[in-house]
This record gives sequence, C-alpha cells and structure tokens, in this order.
Amino acid sequence: MSRPPPDPLYILRGSGAPVNTLHFYCGGDGPPLLYSGSGKGAVHVWNLNTRRAEQVLESHNSNSVIWLDTFDGSRSSLISQGRDMRLCLWDLSEGRSAVTDSLLTGAVGFCQCSLLESQPGSSLLAHPTQDMEEVSVVEMKSWTQVCSLRPDTKLGMLMSMKMWQADSGPVLCAGYEDGSIVLWDVSQRHPLSFLKPLPEPVMCLDVHVCSQKGISGSSEKILQSWTVDGQRTLQMHHSVQMTNPGVSQMRIRADGKILATAGWDNNIRVFGWKKLKPLAVLQHHTDAVNSVAFSDHQDPTQRLLAAGSKDQRISVWSIYNVVHRTNIDTREPLAVVEDLLSSSQPEGMGRAAVKGSLAMGI
Amino acid sequence: MAISNITWRMAERQIEDPKIAFAYLRPSCVLLTKEPTIVNVKTLSGHLRGVSDGALQQLQDYILFPLRFVLKTPGSKQESLISSVMEAMTYVLKNTCVQSWESLRDLFSELCLCLCSPKDPGKPGAASEELKLSVLGCMEALLHSAYGDIIFRLYEPCMLPGLGAAVSLFLALAENEKAREVKMASLKCLLMLCLQCDCEEEHVEPQKDERTLLGNALATFLPGVSRALSLVISGDLRQGHAVTSKAMKVWYKTVGTVMADEQCEETKSKRADNGEELIVKRTPLWRKTTSKRLALVLRKIISCTSAHPHWRVRLELVNLSHHLLSQCSQSIGECVGPLLEALVGAINDEEPEVKNRCSAALEDVAQKGQSSCGQDFTDVLSENLHSLASSLPRLMRTSDDHRKLFVLNVFLGYLKILGPKVNLVLTSAVHLERISKALMQVMELDVSDVKIIEGRALMASADFGHDLYPIPSQKKHFQHFTDDRVCTALGKICRMLGHYGSLYLLVDCFMELYKESSVYRKQAAMVLNEIIAGAAGVGVEMEMHKFKTNHEDLESLILSVVEEYISLSNWHLTTVSEANTESTASSREPICLQLHPVSKPPPLHQLNSNIWQICIQLEGIGGFAWALGTNFQPFLMRCLYPVLEKAGDESLLISQAAFKAMCDFCTACEYSSPKELVIKNSDYLLNDVSLNLARPSVHPHAPRVLSVMFTHSDASLLPLVADVVQDVLTELDLSYDQRTPPFCSVLHSLMKALVRWFPTSTGHQKSPGEETKKESCVSLRQFLLDYQKQKDLAEGIGVEEEDLDEMDIPPAVSDPDEDMEGPAVQKELPLRVQIAKDVMERCIHLLSDPSLRTRLKVLEILELSVYMLRDDEEELLPMVHRCWPALLQRLTNDDPLAVPPAFKLLCVLGDSCGDFLRKRVSKEVLPRLTASLVKQAEISARSGPAYIHTLAYKLQLAVLQGLGPLCVRLDLMDVDLDLVSDACVPYLSSRQPIKLQEACLSVFRSLMEQDPDLCWFTLNELYSPAPLHPPHPLLRPLEISRSDNRNQFSDNVQALLKQLDHEDPEDSYDQHLGTNST
Repeated sequence: MSRPPPDPLYILRGSGAPVNTLHFYCGGDGPPLLYSGSGKGAVHVWNLNTRRAEQVLESHNSNSVIWLDTFDGSRSSLISQGRDMRLCLWDLSEGRSAVTDSLLTGAVGFCQCSLLESQPGSSLLAHPTQDMEEVSVVEMKSWTQVCSLRPDTKLGMLMSMKMWQADSGPVLCAGYEDGSIVLWDVSQRHPLSFLKPLPEPVMCLDVHVCSQKGISGSSEKILQSWTVDGQRTLQMHHSVQMTNPGVSQMRIRADGKILATAGWDNNIRVFGWKKLKPLAVLQHHTDAVNSVAFSDHQDPTQRLLAAGSKDQRISVWSIYNVVHRTNIDTREPLAVVEDLLSSSQPEGMGRAAVKGSLAMGI
Repeated sequence: MAISNITWRMAERQIEDPKIAFAYLRPSCVLLTKEPTIVNVKTLSGHLRGVSDGALQQLQDYILFPLRFVLKTPGSKQESLISSVMEAMTYVLKNTCVQSWESLRDLFSELCLCLCSPKDPGKPGAASEELKLSVLGCMEALLHSAYGDIIFRLYEPCMLPGLGAAVSLFLALAENEKAREVKMASLKCLLMLCLQCDCEEEHVEPQKDERTLLGNALATFLPGVSRALSLVISGDLRQGHAVTSKAMKVWYKTVGTVMADEQCEETKSKRADNGEELIVKRTPLWRKTTSKRLALVLRKIISCTSAHPHWRVRLELVNLSHHLLSQCSQSIGECVGPLLEALVGAINDEEPEVKNRCSAALEDVAQKGQSSCGQDFTDVLSENLHSLASSLPRLMRTSDDHRKLFVLNVFLGYLKILGPKVNLVLTSAVHLERISKALMQVMELDVSDVKIIEGRALMASADFGHDLYPIPSQKKHFQHFTDDRVCTALGKICRMLGHYGSLYLLVDCFMELYKESSVYRKQAAMVLNEIIAGAAGVGVEMEMHKFKTNHEDLESLILSVVEEYISLSNWHLTTVSEANTESTASSREPICLQLHPVSKPPPLHQLNSNIWQICIQLEGIGGFAWALGTNFQPFLMRCLYPVLEKAGDESLLISQAAFKAMCDFCTACEYSSPKELVIKNSDYLLNDVSLNLARPSVHPHAPRVLSVMFTHSDASLLPLVADVVQDVLTELDLSYDQRTPPFCSVLHSLMKALVRWFPTSTGHQKSPGEETKKESCVSLRQFLLDYQKQKDLAEGIGVEEEDLDEMDIPPAVSDPDEDMEGPAVQKELPLRVQIAKDVMERCIHLLSDPSLRTRLKVLEILELSVYMLRDDEEELLPMVHRCWPALLQRLTNDDPLAVPPAFKLLCVLGDSCGDFLRKRVSKEVLPRLTASLVKQAEISARSGPAYIHTLAYKLQLAVLQGLGPLCVRLDLMDVDLDLVSDACVPYLSSRQPIKLQEACLSVFRSLMEQDPDLCWFTLNELYSPAPLHPPHPLLRPLEISRSDNRNQFSDNVQALLKQLDHEDPEDSYDQHLGTNST
C-alpha cells in the first residue's frame, strides 16, 4: 500500500481572493518573507516565522496583481504588476507602504514582467506593452527604454517571458500565443533562435541558466523542455505528459534539482529537472493553482515551496530537503515520494480518484 | 575606713591620683600581708573599688602582691579566703592590663595551682565548685587582661608544659565537673586560650606568625582536646545546650587554628631549627593522620548534634561546618564530606535562624568553592554526590519522610555548592547515570488509584472563562513518599541541575531515558520539565549568580522536547478503556481493528499511567511557556493545537492539565484569557485542524478541537472558519460511513456558534395569530359578507379570478427547483447563509443515517440551520423541500426516540416557513400523527403512574405540546383542525396523566385562536355546563347533542369554555350565532 503524499507544512489563509503570484524573500536580516498578490489587488507580506501577514498593501485600484518581485536586493523594495496596466514600485521600509513610482505599460494581457539585475544598482525590466506582441526592456531607475523586441513574423500575443544574463549580455526568452518560443539578444535587439514545441499558447516558461535548459507549459498535458546550446539556439529536449491539462506556472528550483508546476487541476506536480521524471503530486487545493515559487533561503534545509491557488489559500511545502521534521509529518518527504513512485496507479476512491492524484503517466 | 569607703562612694568619685590611691590602699595591703584573713581581703577589695582604673593599673603589682602572697603561703587555707582573694584579683585584672610577661606567667601558673590537685598538676583538685568557679573566673580575667605582645609568649615552646597542664585541667573540669557553671567557665577559658573568645570585650587579634605560633602550640593538645570535647559534646543532654554548643565552639576553633590552610605551607620549612621535643611538627603526614582522626571525631560530633533538640546546638553545628570549611577545607580533606553533609542537611531546619545562617554559610562556601578552583573540594563534593545518589533509592524506599526530606536537602545542598562545577560531575558518564537513575527510581509515580481514570470531565472544555483563575496543579502520588515537601525538594534538585548543569547534556540524557522505556517516561518528563524551568531561572532562588542559559539554546532544546512530547506515539495514548464510552469506541473501532486485530483492553494501571504521562507533558509545555515568556509565541504554532485537543479530553485530569497549560500560555504570551488565546491564534489552530482533518485515522480529535474553537470564538472569525468548514464538509463527503459522528458534532457546534454570532432579527417571521385577532374584530356584517364570499368560492363561483391571483404568486416565491438551477440567482450569498446551506445539504443525506444517534444530532443541526436561514426564504424553502422526504420518514417510520425531535424540527419549520408546508403536513403528517394520538390515548388513559417514564408518553407529550403552535403557524383550516381536535379530545379526559391534559389544553387554546367556533362546538359537545339560549328570540335555538352531565371531560372543558368566553365573549357568541343563522 502506498503512503499518502506529504501534507503541506502549513497553509496561509486570509488573502480573501484568488492568489495570483508569489515571491519569496529570505535574505537580509529579519524573518523570511513571502509576498503574495491577490485577485483583488491586495499584496500580502507574509512573515514565514509567525505565518501571519505582516502587511497588506492595497494596490492597483483593486485590480488583479499578476506579478511581484523585490529589487535592489532589499526586502523593502517591491515591484508589482497589476491588471490596471501599471507597474508600481513600493517602499516598504520601516513599516511604510508607499508607492514611490509607477509606470503605465498599457499592457492588457496576463504576461508577467521579468526583472534582471545586470549590475548592482541597475536593473533591466522587461514588460509587455500596449502592442500585444512587443516586449519593452527598460532601465529600472529612469524607465528609459533600452530596446523594444518585436518578432518579424506574426506569433500572436506575448504570453510569458524570462530574462537573464548570459556571457554576451542580457538574453530574453519569450513565449507567444501560437506556441513559439523566441530567444532574444537584448543588447543586439534581434532574435537568436526560434522554437515551436507546441501548437498551444505558451502559458508559462522557466529557464534554468546553469543547466542551460528551459521548459514551457501550455494548456495541454505536455510539458516540453528545451536547451539553449553554445550557439544560443534552442533545441527540443525532453517532454513529459501529465494526467490533466493546463499549467499556469512553473518554477525550477535554484539548485536545478526539481521543477514544480501549478496545475489547473488543483494539483502541484513535482518533477526531477534532469530528465523530467515525475516525482510527486501535491494535493491540497480545491481550485486551480495559479502560482508556485521556491524560496531562496540560505539554509537549504529551510527552502520551501509555496503555491497560491484560486481557492484563496497559499500552501507551503517542505519537499526534497534534507530531513525536515515537523510534528505534522515526521516522515522524510523523499521516502514518501519514492514510495509513491514505486506504486502504480492508486486504488483511491471518491474524490481522490477523480483528481487522478498519481496518474502522471508512469 | 568603712566610713571613708562609703564617703568615696557617695561622692561617686574614684581616686585618680596614683599617689593618693597608694596611700589609700597601702594600709589594707599591708594588713592583708600580715594577716591573711577574709575580712582583710574584703577590706582591700572594698578599697579597690574606690580607686580609678588608671591608678589601679599603676599600682597593679603592688595590689596583686598581697593577694598572691595569700595564695602562696603554704599550708591549707580556707576556701572562702581563696574565693575572696580570687574575687579581688578578678576585679583588679578586669580593670587593668597585665603588661609584664613575668606577672602573666606567674599569675597563670598560680591560678592553675589553685585548681589542680596537689599531687598531679594535670588533674583538678577536690575543691568546691564555687572555688573552682571563682578561680576560673579569675583565669579568664587574667587572660583577657594580658597585653597583646606578651600573651603570645604563653605559647612559646618553653611554656608548653605549663600550658598543657592548664589545658588538661580545663578539659578535665569541662568533662567531669557536674556543675554547669564550672563547665562553662572552663570551656570559656579554653576558648580564651585559643584566643578565640566570643565575649564582648576587646581581644587580641593575632597576626599571621602569631597564629602560626598559636597553631603549633595547640597542635600539641589537639588529641586531648578532641577526645575530651567530643565526650562533652556527646554527653548527657541534661548538661544543657549551652555547654554542648560551647564545647563545639572550642573544638572547632581549636581545630580551625591548628589545621588552618594558611599555615599549611610555611610550617614545613620553619620548624626544623627549634628542637623542642614537645612541639608537634605539622608535616603533611601529620596532617593526613590527624585529619583522619579528626574525621572520626567529627562524625561522632555530627551524629549527636545534627538532630539535637535544641536549635542553638544545631546552629553551632552549622557554624562549625562553616568555620572549618572556610578555614581548613584543604588540610582536613576527610572531613569535608561530613562537614558539607552536616551543613547542607541543616538547610531545611525548622528554626529560621539556623536555616538562614545555614543558607548564608552555604552561599559563602559555594562561592569559595566555585571561585577558588579547589580541585579536591570538587572531588569531595562529587564523590559525596555520587554516593548519595547511589544510596538515594534505597533511602527513599526505607526511611521515613522526614529522613527522605533531609537526604534530598543534602543532595540539593551539594548541587548548590557545586554550582556550575556540577558539570564536572555530569560529564562523568557514571555519575550522570547514577544521578539520573536515582531520580527515575525516586520519582516513580503511583498509578494504581482508580480515581485517576474515573475522573471525567463533566462538560469537556465547557468554559474557558474570561479571566485566568489559578488552577492548583494536580497532586501527584508517588510510590516512595507522600510528603509534598519531598516532591518540592525533588523539583528543586532538578531545577538546580538545569540551572547549573550543561543543558544539552542533561536534556539529552533524560530524553534518552524518556525514549528508553515507558517505565521511566513519566519521571523523565517530570525531570525534563524541571530542568528546563531551572535553566530558564524559574523557581531557582539564587540571587548571586545571574547564570543564564543562552536563549537560543534554550529555545532549540525546548523545541526538541516539545516535539518529542507531542509526537504521535507519546501524545495519542489510550486513556479510556474502549468499553467505557460509546462515542469514542465507535469512532475508533476501524483503526483499532486495523492496528491490533486482537485488541485487549489495556489494564487499568496502564491507562492511569498514560493519563499521568499526558498530564506531565502538558504541565511541561505550560512550564516551557513560563520559561520562555513572550518568546513562546512561535511555539504556539506547534503547541496550541495539541493542548487544545487535550483540553477537550474526557479525562478530568488531562483536561484540567491542558487548561492549566493554556493559562500558562496566556500568562507567558500576555493574553487575558484562554478565549483570547484561542481567538488570536485561530489561524494556527485552523491550520492544524484542516491538515489533521484530512487524516482522521491519525488525528481523530481534529473535529473536537474545531468544535471547541467554534464554541469560543466570535463572528470575526467567520472568514477563516468558512475556509475550514469547506474542509470539514469535503472530509465528511469523503467518509460518510466512518466518521460521521465526530463531524456531526462539529457541524452542530458550528451551527450553534453561527446562531450565536448572528442572532436573527425577529423571533418569528410571520405572525398569523395577529391577523386572526384583527379578523375577529370585524363587525358581524362584514363577517357575514366574508363568509358568503368564502362559501361561494368553496362552491366554485368565481374560482377563475381567484385562481389567477393565487397562481401568480407561488412560482415567483417558492418554486424550489427553479431557484436551485436558475443562473440568475448567482448573487453572492452572505458567508453564514452559504455555510448554513452547505451544512443543511449534508444533513439531508445524514437524516437517514442508520445510526440513531447521528439522526438525532442531525435533527438538531437542521433545526439550527433553519434558524440561520429563516431570513433568507429563497434559500430556506428549497432546502426544506429537499429535506422533507427524509424528515417525513423520521416523523412517521422511525424509532420512537427520533420522533419527538423530528416533530420539534417540524414545529420550527412550520414557524419559519409557514404555509409552505401546510399542504404537506395536512396530507402526510397530520393523519398519522392524529391516528397515533388517538390510539395512544386509550392506553395512556388506563395507565398507571409508571407510564410517564415510557417513550410513548414522551412522544405523546411532545406532539401535544407542539401541535398547537404548529396549527397556528401553518394556518391549518377546517378539516385539518377537525382532525387535530378529534385527536386531542380524548386527552381532555381527567383520566389522562396531568401533563398530557395540560398539553392538550394548550392545543385547544391554539385551536381557539385559529377557529374559535369549531372549538366551541367541540367542547360543548363534550360537556356544556349551562343551557344555551339564543340572544334573540328570532334566532332558532341551537341543536347540538350536548350532554350536561358531569363527565371525565367536564373540568377541562369548563376551563376552556371559560377562557373562550373570557377572551372575547361577545365576538365568539356573535360568531357562532352568525354561523348558525346562515
């Protein structure tokens, strides 16, 4: 008999609206924080030590917050992107909650921005614009536009993107509505490579820079990973089939060991990053999972996975860490997962079966 | 002369000038020398008093000469003469100083001669007690008056024989003399010889080398002194405490001088050159042997004084120990152990002075022991501790409580003295094990008491109160002792260990024991609790050392201990035998069957032991909260849920302990009451609850915690609660079959809480009663018109128009099916309504649960849900519609136990939904109810008094009580009312049980409201007290089959008719007349 998958470490309740986006901040002094953006424009700052919201920021005129990040390496500098077509910069130091600056992007889509701190003190921000296909890269301090990237061919709406620093300069990977992924050289302002792994819109993508691999998901059951080789061209790599279609977000953990996906089927799935081996299905939410995030805690044993869902909860998990004992679940997560893997389809009944918890095509 | 003496006195002046004084004294001196008689001595001493001290000093030798001359004269003398001489000498010596060594020496030896027997200078002579006393007094005065620079010559080697003789004289006197005063005086002299006198006068303060000299001299006499004084000390109690304590003082002062640590080193080198044979060379070897011997003496002394009835003796023992420990702890190695034991043992003396002195001494000794890194000292202590720990279990088993307390106090004292050095002891595995095992054995609990398991919480976690009221901690029964003070002492020992010992080491050790065996588990937990309290400085009375454990260490250790405590295997212990409670048994059955196919009920003592273990762990967690103060806040995340879970435990002991722990949390984290604690931390609780709900087999109590939370929180919690309620319902959906009872109770408490949080605005939504009242006031004419109209309607005239009117309304208001599906009604419901609706939906399914208990519970929940929904008819009516079939089953085909509550629910429904149910009730319920009423009426009419205890009776009563209001609420008419009144009529009989009659009367009262005419007729048919006359001759007389004979119904009918007339006499009469005339 297989043992049940691990329980969440704890649940953060009280966001009062669907949770759209999550961002961890564990550096600096003070407790580790988790920022969450809700569907009603509230940004919650959760103190992970007390497991309570330290601060709630009302923003974006109660429009959905779709993306959050911290910049300048500080816990009190926050940038948020809302469905009111604005980007807001926040100063949260010493209990303040003031918008210091904002930018009207004019973008009406769901594409999340991407922030890249190229040098200390200067950051590049890639954001979608009024023109559905265009990516605009701006310098954070002054909002001066560095470049505007627009594909020559018709690829449809910009869906998701990620920018990172390559040896030759900043590179941006963008996914479009028709399923194509384009690798852009930001400084040269021209596309480097082009790939179309799936016909469906690219709902989300993530790139692990060290392993030079990325992955994209769509409304389909397939996850497709691809590599960025030396010539900076995109090549198809592994793919994996899920039981239920639809991924809203995915994240590769910083150490490049595992990948977590936020599924429309209410489940969080965990895969091994190397070969996309399905490892676990984390069940808790009762509605679609919108966002997943890995914490960047210095102590690897305290790195957490958080998932925000439409059911207004944020579940926090401790998985694949060196033994992390809690009173809720004293078992080693790895053992549980191995257990899971060794078993075939579970003979679960009722709702569990409907959820198809473990049927991940093993 | 006598006159002049008096004159001098009268003048109150003494002769200052030595010359005058000389002239004044000279005659008497000369006279005395010539004629040594008492009178002359007296005269002299009389004159002496007239001379000032200064003059006396100058004339000292001159005056003393005749007195000494008297003593020196050979031949036997009168004792009284010597006495008076002594008196005079004493006076002189007291008021002057002896400045020359010669006179000191001579006087000393002369006085000694007076005491000793002529043959043996070391033995006292056969003089009278008075004489001895006066000589001793004089000796004392002499020693006091000796100048500082000459007194030390007494101790030079050449003086040793004489000094020795004196010492042995005094010792012999102290030992053998009968009179207490003599004993005291000789001891005092001895003390003086040690230069350690304790009287108020000024004394010589010996310098360092003088002390060495003194030490050397006294060393010679040490064996004799020790022997004789130990005999004195252990002598008859009748000698009085003063003698004993003085003897002790002399002994320890002597020993302290001889064995003083400071004289240790130098004596080795110095003494070689002086070749006096009598001098003892205080070599290391000598010290060693001496200390061995002293140890023997010491043991003897301690054994006979440590429990001495007089506290001054015990006080002296404390002084003894303190003095020796502080003066010569190094040179008397063997004695340190017994000394410490004596000192430590007195810490709990009943005499406060002894106690205070002792603790001061201990404090001092401890400080010295800690500061000066006396390795030996620590060794001795640890050795003592070790042996004590070894013998502790035996002592605890065999000795009486008093002795036990003593032993434990000694133990505690050792720890106190060792202070932080206790770590040296603890790091030795042997020592640690000995100590820990000893504690384990000593603290064994007695768990055989039946009361432990019998104690049932009357109402589990009924009230958390608004204040923190102190709850006495539960009294533990130990196997080896009964005295509470013993328990306190043990606690102190553990705290002291924790305070000074290495916390990691200790916690590790006792955790190991905790895990090792269930035999040790409770004790180990107790010890751990105390250790951590001690480490945090709780309950440790030590002002001197602000020795505090690192806070982070403490927190991490507490965390690990807490996790161990609340781990599944240590927290979820069986505390009730399965047969005891039905509810838990049913909920546990599935698990038990899985885990142990052959589940034997655990024996009583095991259950008791489990209860105590949980209590101790709870106590511990509460104690940790004290230890951490506000820093405990993060621990609430882990602890609060388990503790709350236990607060609802069925065992009284456990629930009390848990409640106490919660109070501790409140104090530590600054909450005003447990209620506030729960509310403020409900997010943590709900987190655990929702996670644990998903694992009912492991955490069967999550529903219980949730119920407790509902009971104690307020409406502000609703958004959070709503989230969890969804979890509950989901979980319920997943396991209808197994886990229904606990979930039902959750839902019940939820609905109760909701009703409490959101009291509905009005008690009754509709009040048809008022309408009828108004109706009854219309005029006769109007009534007739209305009646005509009604009658026409009934006969089918004008049906179409009316139908149209009526048809318009119902679909809009109450077509249940359309309301459910209609996409237009997608408006967001208030959370409470949504919850009530969701709950009700589940209840509909559960209403046909096979378990009667569940069905009853569900009926209650439904009732509450209906209250909750009564303001939202749009939601309520569809639910009622869906609920109806199942409810009908309960009303008609169920266990007799289920019917009354079902009927009650029906009444509530009738109250809330009104005429929505009229048709159904009249069609499906009324016929059966009335039929059964009628049937039962015959039985109850014939029954005896025992009938009122039957189910049937209760059912009848419930129905009769509810029927009246139901009729009114549902606005029942004609046929239905007939049915009701027919069914009720038999109950008007005086043969029925009185309660049923009353209930029946209430039905009729309701019927009167609804249809007075019908009532009137029915009643009159039964019995009419007065003939009926039409009010107007034009009207036809009434023809009914009335019976005016008194019968079984008379009383009740009469009462009702009276009421009917009284309420609206004219109206009702008019009405029935009117009805009739048409």
